[in-house]
Amino acid sequence: MKILTQNPLTLSGIIIISLVLFIAVFAPWLSPYDPNYIDIHSILLPPSVSHFMGTDGLGRDVFSRMLYGSRISLLVGIVAVGIATVIGTFLGAIAGFYRGYIDSIIMRFVDIMLSIPTFFLILAVIAFLTPSIWNIMIVIGLTSWMGVTRLVRAEFLSLRNREYILAAEAMGASDYRLISKHLLPNSLTPIIVTSVLGIASAVLTESGLSFLGLGVQAPQSSWGNILTDGKEYIQFAWWLSLFPGLAILITVLGYNLLGEGLRDLLDPKNKNQRK
Amino acid sequence: MYFKYIFLFFVCLNLTSCSDKKEVVYNFDGTFNIEKGGTLIDAMSGEPSNLISMIAGDSASSAISGNIFNKLIKYDKNLELAPEIAEKWTISSDQKTITFYLKKNLKWSDGHDLTSEDVLFTWKLVTDDKTRTPYGSDYKLVDKAEVPDLHTFRVVYKKAYAPALDSWATLQILPKHILKDEDINRTFFSRKPVGSSYYKLANWVNGEKLTLEASSSSVMGEPNISKLTSRFIPDTSSQFLELIADNIDLMNINPIQFARVIPSRPDLKNKLALYKELGNSYTYLGFNSKRSPFNDIRVRQAINYALDKQEVIDGVLLGLGEPVASPYKPGTRWSDRALHPYPYDKNMALKLLHEAGFNDTNHDGILEKDGKPFAFEILTNQNKQREMTAVLIQRRLKDVGIDVKIRVIEWASFVNQFIKTSDFDAVILGWSLSLDPDQYNIWHSSQQKPGQFNFIGYSNKEVDQLLEEGRTELNPDKREKIYHAFSKILLRESPIVYLYAGYGLTAMSKRIKGIESPTPPAGIAYNSYEWFIPSTLRRNEITP
Amino acid sequence: MLNYLIKRLLWMIPMLIGISLISFFIMHLAPGDITASESAFNPKASEESRQKLRALYNLDKPLMTQYSLWLKRIVKLDFGNSFASHQRPVLWETKDEKGNITKGMIQDALPITLMINLIGLLIIFVLSIFLGVVSAVNQNKWPDRLITIIVFVGFAVPGFWLALLLMYWTGVTHSWLPISGLHSAGYENMDLISQYLDLFKHLILPVFVSSLGGLASISLYVRNGMLDVLQQEFITTARAKGLTENKVIYGHALRNTLLPLITIVGLSIPGLIGGSVIGESIFAISGMGKLFFDAVLMRDFPVVMGILTIGSVLTLFGNLIADIGYAWADPRIRRGISN
Repeated sequence: MKILTQNPLTLSGIIIISLVLFIAVFAPWLSPYDPNYIDIHSILLPPSVSHFMGTDGLGRDVFSRMLYGSRISLLVGIVAVGIATVIGTFLGAIAGFYRGYIDSIIMRFVDIMLSIPTFFLILAVIAFLTPSIWNIMIVIGLTSWMGVTRLVRAEFLSLRNREYILAAEAMGASDYRLISKHLLPNSLTPIIVTSVLGIASAVLTESGLSFLGLGVQAPQSSWGNILTDGKEYIQFAWWLSLFPGLAILITVLGYNLLGEGLRDLLDPKNKNQRK
Repeated sequence: MYFKYIFLFFVCLNLTSCSDKKEVVYNFDGTFNIEKGGTLIDAMSGEPSNLISMIAGDSASSAISGNIFNKLIKYDKNLELAPEIAEKWTISSDQKTITFYLKKNLKWSDGHDLTSEDVLFTWKLVTDDKTRTPYGSDYKLVDKAEVPDLHTFRVVYKKAYAPALDSWATLQILPKHILKDEDINRTFFSRKPVGSSYYKLANWVNGEKLTLEASSSSVMGEPNISKLTSRFIPDTSSQFLELIADNIDLMNINPIQFARVIPSRPDLKNKLALYKELGNSYTYLGFNSKRSPFNDIRVRQAINYALDKQEVIDGVLLGLGEPVASPYKPGTRWSDRALHPYPYDKNMALKLLHEAGFNDTNHDGILEKDGKPFAFEILTNQNKQREMTAVLIQRRLKDVGIDVKIRVIEWASFVNQFIKTSDFDAVILGWSLSLDPDQYNIWHSSQQKPGQFNFIGYSNKEVDQLLEEGRTELNPDKREKIYHAFSKILLRESPIVYLYAGYGLTAMSKRIKGIESPTPPAGIAYNSYEWFIPSTLRRNEITP
Repeated sequence: MLNYLIKRLLWMIPMLIGISLISFFIMHLAPGDITASESAFNPKASEESRQKLRALYNLDKPLMTQYSLWLKRIVKLDFGNSFASHQRPVLWETKDEKGNITKGMIQDALPITLMINLIGLLIIFVLSIFLGVVSAVNQNKWPDRLITIIVFVGFAVPGFWLALLLMYWTGVTHSWLPISGLHSAGYENMDLISQYLDLFKHLILPVFVSSLGGLASISLYVRNGMLDVLQQEFITTARAKGLTENKVIYGHALRNTLLPLITIVGLSIPGLIGGSVIGESIFAISGMGKLFFDAVLMRDFPVVMGILTIGSVLTLFGNLIADIGYAWADPRIRRGISN
């Protein structure tokens, strides 16, 4: 606990994320309106007592849409990063453990994937499927595993020759055991940190995709698409820009603070710095 | 000690940005005399690609080339055919020959004479198979084209073809003396055109802007505004910011900007004038007539009754649109005033659905037939208004027990994967039409091959016959009867649900004077050559 | 090390072919081609003309044929012409018999993107190093916390939102900066100094918004790097020797921290030619981002493949530099490789 109070930034990150999680889970109970309830007589109303965050272009309550939108933002982040982490860890572990030829092939594959612009892959996939939320998550996941691979591989490479690993090997431990029981747990720090930061990135990517028209589609609401809807009227219907913009900002900030805070906390090197 | 740096940073920031430029106060009210000169700046989302209109298909290119080139005839402010290069024309009694009599002493902007030879040359070009143009089909119907003298152009059709005159009001005439030795598909002329109309190309900076300047040898006379500059600004929110900051004079705006944003700001109301005009297009929900259950007329009619079109107009367009009951622009002679859209009648919808065999047997709120729930998918492209329309339709259909999913697809994929193959349940799309009432390409049963426009699969023998007749009947009154009958059948059979005809909304700086009000049927731009900018209202321009 | 380098360079050739092949197929998986443009839905436009265009561009041939045709041209460095109706050359300008010059598409877009990215990169590096050092030296004290927050906020803010807000504030509410575009209306008539100033004013917002994200990651990298280095024994030695704190930090610690930045530089190289399509759309700047995006949506294959080719060459080289830098900087890996 003391650790947390000594790191107010990390603490803020945890508070923010917990808040977002809470909202996402309890959205149905917290929403005053059905987020898809259209009321053409209430188009673009400013915030008021009956609509805390105003209404959008079809008269839907923005506050309710924001609450449900948090689910999308969270889901996209978690699933996309989940996919990226699983793939990246797997490939990175194999590359770092076996080295040699396998390493070369995997790293060349990483290079190839890095050479093809993410956006191009996303576009091609989304254009030829539909911009549904699952496709977006899968595509973001499939295009962001490369960094994790690099990291995991680097950790494995450096840990590989540590004495305790060599000792375990000498004792006849199988590859699987070495990887899962020894190498992987010690590589967790960068994986966790990257994952948390990756969620932040995925949330931003979703808002960017919405701007291009490739994000989550109507009638589902996401913070990205509420923000995009409001971009023509940033001064007039400021509530359509302010709230989702701030929500994205704070959430991404929270994840970043958490991720960096975890990095500071878990990295053994930094333990000495603490006075 | 870091405060030093922070302070320094802000000092630098202030030095580089100038203070607010003196807010120029224009007095827009009052009467002004016509003056020549000035520059009109507008914004385009896309950049023209090729200024030879028969080759380029995009709207950006046509918007610019329309200022540079002339056609034989044009549409006047009441959408009647009027002279342009041709001062008059005659139609033979067998209705197969049209003779155009050109004005005398016409010149290209480079000084050469404009004669009927240029017209013949252009026609040969557009009908040449080697020319990469998609618009040749109308002109290929000409059996013989001849130039009895330098001011006469005659075309003979195999069969009387009613839309012919409309096609001559679209073909931009190109200079033979420049293009005769060029490969039209690759010539640099597409970037450095020589035309005969009000403006000529002055400057084109790729990716930034294009400037036209008044042509003194224009066959139409000189326009008042000397320079037209179009800035390429892809994002409409940026365009709007530029409009508010008075950096551009003209832009197409959306219903919310028209009805809510600008009226709410007194400073904007003072400097911007708003115009609305009915365009020549309509948005519709199209059913795949070959797919069950849409092959059942009762189902199509039921959905038509189940939709509240006024709600769509009010919700999506904030009331800035009109309902339509025929595939023609309201207010024109082709649009039958006696036809009315299906009213919103939920009970009628349910009655028809029951008749068609749909019932909610398991009381889950969704109708079923033969055990299958009535669910379908509406496809549309990435267009904000169409997406909002889809959402409203989804809600209304849910009310009658139909489960609708919406799928928004990127344009190229949409056309190739779903339209060409007719692989869809229903689509929300629009038609942008020419002023000629012929709609053979869209509704005739022979036009259903992949890539053709009857992709909804509509077939009706009566309609086929009416469309064929309409094409060969040149008498407008007789044509009117034909197309009214056609519209009536279409309304009854409801292969599509007409949703709305939206208004084109324009915001223009009040410095531009001479706009006709009330807006004539042709729209405000028909007399853009007569607009002028009083010298007291012009922007300060940096001159060399 | 030399062996490693040679192996990597040799690997590049099959990889480039692999990348171009994969990209080619992905591009063709997305349905549609250039003929599905606006005119596709004009009832006056005929299908046969579209078929003819397809045949002209070899779009009706089997994919492998199309690919090998393209490959044969690209190895001669012939990037071809765009499929769009302007048919401009993809890479570099061409001159016709009359001396008319048609500029290449990448030729027009790349300098703009490079300009914005290079200026941005410079600013990011200078600022990040400064901020990272300040953060590390004051770890967990208020300068560190403040910088962390500011830098993270910069990363977290959605780019187009910030761009529009700034454009509104600086261009509409006040007339400090231009709103969009690269040049003012009377640019051609300005003298040289005014032209530079004008360009500078137009670049301030785009560069600022596009650099914000990088600022976070690089200053963090510098901070963590410095923290690592500051712990090491030679720093304690330097302090014990009586060197001033400034000399310790900037003279010794910083130098060692900067080495791994080579990795970052390497990884940034391919990014230099990439523009943000969102930023470019909002600021009306015709750079590589918009060029690429429009080409993909229009299925303008020569342009897409041209940009991907250049991009992949740069990426491969950039990754090579990054990996070398990384390995060089971390002795543990160096040893691991040579084992």
